[in-house]
Amino acid sequence: MSSRAESLPLESLATEWVRLWAFAARNLIMARRNVFFVFELTFWPGVAMLSHGLLTRFLALTPEMTAFILVGTVALSSVQVCQLDVAYAVLFDIWSKSMKHQFLTPVRTRHLALGSWLVGVARGIIVFSLMAAIGTWAFGFNFIGGGPLPLALFLLGCFLTALVIGLLVCTLVLLFGTRAETSAWAAVNFIVMLSGIYYPISVLPGWVAAISAGIPLTYFLDAMREGYGFKSQFTHPFLTGFTLVGLYVVLAHWALSAAITRARRTGLLLKLSE
Amino acid sequence: MAAQDIAVEARDLTKTFRAGWFHGRRTEALRGASLEVPRGAIFGLLGPNGAGKTTLLSILATLLLPDSGSASILGHDVVREAFAIRRRLNMASGNASFVWSLRPAEVLTFYGRLYGLSGRRLAGRVSELIERFELGSHRKTEYNELSTGLKQRLALAKALLNDPEVLFLDEPTLGLDPDVSIRIRAHIAALRRERGTTIILTTHYMREAEQLCDTIAFIKSGRILAQGTADELKRQIRIGEVIVLRLDPPVVQGLAERNGVLALHTRGDRIECTVDAAEKRLPEILRWLHEQGVLVRDCQVTEPELEEVFVELAR
Repeated sequence: MSSRAESLPLESLATEWVRLWAFAARNLIMARRNVFFVFELTFWPGVAMLSHGLLTRFLALTPEMTAFILVGTVALSSVQVCQLDVAYAVLFDIWSKSMKHQFLTPVRTRHLALGSWLVGVARGIIVFSLMAAIGTWAFGFNFIGGGPLPLALFLLGCFLTALVIGLLVCTLVLLFGTRAETSAWAAVNFIVMLSGIYYPISVLPGWVAAISAGIPLTYFLDAMREGYGFKSQFTHPFLTGFTLVGLYVVLAHWALSAAITRARRTGLLLKLSE
Repeated sequence: MAAQDIAVEARDLTKTFRAGWFHGRRTEALRGASLEVPRGAIFGLLGPNGAGKTTLLSILATLLLPDSGSASILGHDVVREAFAIRRRLNMASGNASFVWSLRPAEVLTFYGRLYGLSGRRLAGRVSELIERFELGSHRKTEYNELSTGLKQRLALAKALLNDPEVLFLDEPTLGLDPDVSIRIRAHIAALRRERGTTIILTTHYMREAEQLCDTIAFIKSGRILAQGTADELKRQIRIGEVIVLRLDPPVVQGLAERNGVLALHTRGDRIECTVDAAEKRLPEILRWLHEQGVLVRDCQVTEPELEEVFVELAR
């Protein structure tokens, strides 16, 4: 029997917002109440910025090369924190075995994705601000050296990339159950490695570089670094990055919706509640 | 029954779960289950473990897709119109669980928002349910620190957030102390009485089913084996009624061979005579005993327990 999706009527904007806010508010409560969220937000990003900054000192890198490395450090931490919030929309319910209650309500994929993403963006901005402060204070690195607009576009690109990764993690968990929950931490590291996090993708083997060209974060890193005097490897990196990420958001949303339908068919949705 | 009078309808539902490599392990959870529940009724679904009760409820609650067959809730198809159903339906399970760090009001607020409630309406509904289920003194307690009884009350409160027209209760009193069970049963009865909510209840407790349900269905191996009121089921299964006799002399030859006598057991100075229908057989037996010169010192008729029906069907 096929499960043809019902038409997706947008209810009143107020109701749409209320459902989005449900997930955002839950993530905020959890972030306030659990100590490991504080670590995610302060400890690990702080450690990353200090250790990478000190490494650039030890290697006696030029200010431009330091910027190259630290832009990557900021990207990794911001994307990681933001995508975790999206993944938490499903992971909280898996850890507490309450998955079925969520899908018993008239909630749609967009509500859980965007609601938790909003908190992810807020937390990502906090991480960026903290890292920028440490970088400026300890290593004299100017994060708006490339200009405020490129910085804003870079951060937006990072957060949209995080949305895609978070949705993919949710999809994997709903396809493979708790076995896939480590992807919440592993996936982002794998993707940033391919995006040229601390190096230009030209140093990667040809076939890996071809994969990197399909990852939006590659373009956002490239565009941001252009502001620090590095020659761009692409013609319109921001435009290409946003086009790709827009496409991936739609595809990832569809994949998660399909995974939910599959979990209803296989019974995984119930198993994750037992 | 007219279509608008039916709240829940299922026709020949089947569901097979597949597991293992290449889906080699198959478990047939439902094998053509059908039922019909009128609006405003409390319908009991009884059956042994693994009979298919939770699978059937989960399909009706739109959490699981059937392999074949059809089902509708309030006229909406459970596969094609799941979202329309979810606005008007809710469910509470005996082993319900919520996000561990949230407090009772936060759990209710989260799900209330998912049902589209907001502002004063949401706050009022949450307060009303907190008060109604006596959770007020635990406002500051996180979910994982609540007792089993309190968790169960919170699950029931959550299930009423959207004022559902149809409510599924999957073993709602499982593992609860008797006093808590009594209060939850009172809440369930009040729901139907005050709001006309249609309720499907699965339970292992026969007395609970007999006390609450208008109609009871027995499910086993994925099929509904019998359905009716508690009295109808007792008659339908023909496990009989028991006439307990104290006779003088205490043993009577030939009683076991009389028409309508299904079984005869002697317990101390009493004879338990199981008959198909006590109303019809008692006068016949008394007349026959009198003809045999046997003195009847005491005579009682006991009805079979629903539990006996269950045991008979689960065999």
